Amino acid sequence: MKLSLSHYFIPQEKNNYRADILKNSFLLLLVGIYLVNQSFIKYLTVSRPGVLGYSSEITAQKVFDQTNNERTKLGLAPLKYNSVLSDSASKKAKDMFADNYWAHTAPDGTTPWDFLKSAGYKYSVAGENLARDFYDTESLLKAWMNSPTHKANIVHSKYQEIGIGVVNGTLGGIKTTLVVQHFGTPVAVVAKNNSGTADQPSSLQPEEVITTTADQKAISPNSTVLSQNQEKYINPLKLNKIFGVIIFGLIIVTLFIDGYITLKKGINRMTGSTVSQIGFLLVILLFILYQQQGVIF
Amino acid sequence: MIIPKEVKQKPIEYIVLGVIFLIGLLLYFFGPFTAHGRRVVVYCLVANYLFWSLIHHYRRGDLSLSIIVEYLVMALFGIALLTLSLL
Repeated sequence: MKLSLSHYFIPQEKNNYRADILKNSFLLLLVGIYLVNQSFIKYLTVSRPGVLGYSSEITAQKVFDQTNNERTKLGLAPLKYNSVLSDSASKKAKDMFADNYWAHTAPDGTTPWDFLKSAGYKYSVAGENLARDFYDTESLLKAWMNSPTHKANIVHSKYQEIGIGVVNGTLGGIKTTLVVQHFGTPVAVVAKNNSGTADQPSSLQPEEVITTTADQKAISPNSTVLSQNQEKYINPLKLNKIFGVIIFGLIIVTLFIDGYITLKKGINRMTGSTVSQIGFLLVILLFILYQQQGVIF
Repeated sequence: MIIPKEVKQKPIEYIVLGVIFLIGLLLYFFGPFTAHGRRVVVYCLVANYLFWSLIHHYRRGDLSLSIIVEYLVMALFGIALLTLSLL
């Protein structure tokens, strides 16, 4: 057994002094295996979301809670959940899917403020954050907080209410989930406070798109207490990453063994530079390990 | 520390390769890029790596089709795993 496997990892006469695993045919086979694995995971996440829970990790409840956590950390009052704002946020997300765009302003010129108005929310101050391609809420909030314009919305002292839309759909041919945060303070509140100076919504510049997977039914529209999906699922992104890291680790370790033995035995052969290949794969491995979820724009 | 003979023979070439990798890493992690931009950084890095390998083996005098294919397969392997896991 030991002997039969050694030619995969150790350069020897049997494998023409090149570990079999490093040969082109084997590398192509590994790419093929990875492709099949990736396709299978994608199939499960899209067609059988319950299996891997791709659509279940982020919920509006979690976004709501963590947004308020960020505000509380800075000594700001938590935002109140507003079902009208959530309605406008969900409509915005659905509109992006329907018209296949990903921006604050729709191709037909509809602005976020139009969604707020059509939902019946009369605001004095308002803002919008967008996100797509995020798997977990922590990464989503982290990305927003790392972006000055999005953070400005989350910790804006003048906002009193929030609505969150988390909608699954297909955007640009790719199944994904859009997360929309609509912030606002109703006109009545400002009038009561006699501030008299209402901010212009456009001055808030709060926009971001992060792809996330969350379940729209997690929020019940007319309730301040949001339902929460307590189920725990396997993160498909992590699954992909783990599989990729294992394959890379195998190749890099074999390259090290191969390089060390050929160096020690003084074997001369016509192959690529082992040092450069190890370096290249280590760089790619770093990319995989520290890849970021989601897209911010 | 064991320094492979190939590195001792052509230290400048490996320093250039190191710089290519370093620039790629810096742009990927600290550049103001979107996911698409980061993907372009990866493609550029791979293209530079392939170009480096051609020059390296040409200067070493052992540039052959089998070596070119080996680098191409390695590059494809890296790109495939990375980009697929970024989807």
